[in-house]
Amino acid sequence: MTADEKPVISMRGIKKRFGGVVALDGVDLDAYAGEVLAIVGDNGAGKSTLIKILTGVYQPTTGYIELDGQRFTMADHSEAIANGIDAVYQNLALADHLTPAQNLFLGTELTRKFLGLSILDNRRMDREATEVLRSRLGVELRDMNVPTESLSGGQRQAVAIARAVRHKDLRVLVMDEPTAALGPQETARTLGLIKALRDQGLAVVVISHSLDDVFEISDRVHVQRRGTCAGVVKTANVTVEEVLGLITGANAAAA
Amino acid sequence: MTTAPTSQVSQRHRGLIARIEPFMGVLGPLVMIVMIAAFMGVFEPARYFRLSNMNQILLDAALYMPMAMAMTFVITQRGIDLSIGSVAALSAIIVAFLMKQYGFPAWVCVFIALGLGGVMGLINGLVITRLKVPDLIGTLAMDLVYRGFALVLAKGLVLARFPDLITEIGRGQMFGILPTPVVIGLITMVGGYFLLRNTYFGRYTIAIGSNPEASEMTGVSVDRHKVYAYTLMGAMAALAGVMLLGKLNAIQATSAPYFNLHVIAAVVVGGTSLFGGRPSILGSLAGVLLLSMMINALVTLRIEFFWQSVASGVVIILSVATYAWLQKKDRDGGGSVGAALANPDNKKILILALIFAVILALMFAMGAVLAAPPGASG
Repeated sequence: MTADEKPVISMRGIKKRFGGVVALDGVDLDAYAGEVLAIVGDNGAGKSTLIKILTGVYQPTTGYIELDGQRFTMADHSEAIANGIDAVYQNLALADHLTPAQNLFLGTELTRKFLGLSILDNRRMDREATEVLRSRLGVELRDMNVPTESLSGGQRQAVAIARAVRHKDLRVLVMDEPTAALGPQETARTLGLIKALRDQGLAVVVISHSLDDVFEISDRVHVQRRGTCAGVVKTANVTVEEVLGLITGANAAAA
Repeated sequence: MTTAPTSQVSQRHRGLIARIEPFMGVLGPLVMIVMIAAFMGVFEPARYFRLSNMNQILLDAALYMPMAMAMTFVITQRGIDLSIGSVAALSAIIVAFLMKQYGFPAWVCVFIALGLGGVMGLINGLVITRLKVPDLIGTLAMDLVYRGFALVLAKGLVLARFPDLITEIGRGQMFGILPTPVVIGLITMVGGYFLLRNTYFGRYTIAIGSNPEASEMTGVSVDRHKVYAYTLMGAMAALAGVMLLGKLNAIQATSAPYFNLHVIAAVVVGGTSLFGGRPSILGSLAGVLLLSMMINALVTLRIEFFWQSVASGVVIILSVATYAWLQKKDRDGGGSVGAALANPDNKKILILALIFAVILALMFAMGAVLAAPPGASG
């Protein structure tokens, strides 16, 4: 993105230790609105830890996070959601026996008053879930009253994404290997969803092992290597070989 | 053109199974209820279908309805509660003492019992979620604890004769024909249905049973809702304790020994999955009715009381096995007995069974040959 534009969210000097193991050692990260930032790296490079800190699941040992230039801390994931940051995990975190609408609102159910008690407003949740799936993701499910387990992999992905983008104030969406378990057709569809969300002005952070996918959707690539950032490059300016070199450490100076 | 109709048929066929599946929990017990009714209609129609006997069946079923409702929540969360018999006995004994020895008013005692049961359930929940004791062991151990307290309090005493309110709860009649406990039981069932469909607790119960990690990730407080479920279970067990107290108009420390398995059986027969995430309150109601009808049928046929235990066990195994089979996606193959015997694992199990059969046969023969008239030694 252009130099004068301010990042939505920045991580500065993030260090995370698990007992004696240093998972992250002084990592910086910036994500901009309307941009897809890919995070790549080998297994154990610290990608997952990094995004878990970004989404409030873990707290950094040292370092801090800035939202719109303001330092803030998150005690847990729900605070991240309250601040407009949400994640779609690799396992999608769906309850398979609930319907898509029930999953979409899991943890943030809509309620209505009934004899002075607040009870779940199932009808409104069904309606809004259908609406979010259609208007934000262009997905229409044949039947909204089936358990989520009966949906295809891509549809389940859409439900998980819809859960995150349902919040009107969502600004940063983190996705952990969104295409790992999908076939070619479903992968293409999911990448399409990611582009659509970017065009809607979200800052999208995607972890991926597939460099093909990374080069198709990302604007910038953040390479993690052994707990540190090995470089951040503009996707348009590099080749797959150069990114591979950063991942494996073959040409550490390329950044 | 020729393939189109067949694919359409198979589509419709699959649609039918898919449409039936959610109702299997109710359909299964209903089929069995009809079968029992048909069987009894042939063999003992006069005594089984008497109004007083129908009343008896409902009265018996009512005792288990509140517990089956609560157990549906516990099992849907992938939990289990083996302490409910002792919770029922202990809460009933405590309020029995309060009424008999301290003259507490009966209506206060009903609420005290519910509160005590709730606290015992809460303790169960804390043992499981905070002390991280697995539910099976945790509630089994708490079962010993609560039963022990009941024995300490009541010793060998049988407490009997309670105020009218208590006997009304246990065996009274409402509106002329409907037994009060049935009304209470049905109210708890309706309440359970409402809880499941329309509250955070119900929604999170399914979510937790379906995928505990996902629930945790999406901000569902898993442990808190587990504690809620066990608390509800404890309170409903205590309600059953009061109903039992009123039904018998007497209570002792060893009362309600088989509540655990009877209630778990009813819930599982009703189609609530032991693997979590699939509740069926209506199924639990059907399961309770089925078990009561079955036990009553055994009594009506003058089959010895102790066979009830055998019958309950067989029904549990049969229903769980049936549901497991229905869940299996691939039902082809593995059909014939011959194919099963070709499997080397099955061959080895067969050999093991044969070895035991031979040893047992030999030992019985030896014992019979060497048998001497039983003397005074034993």
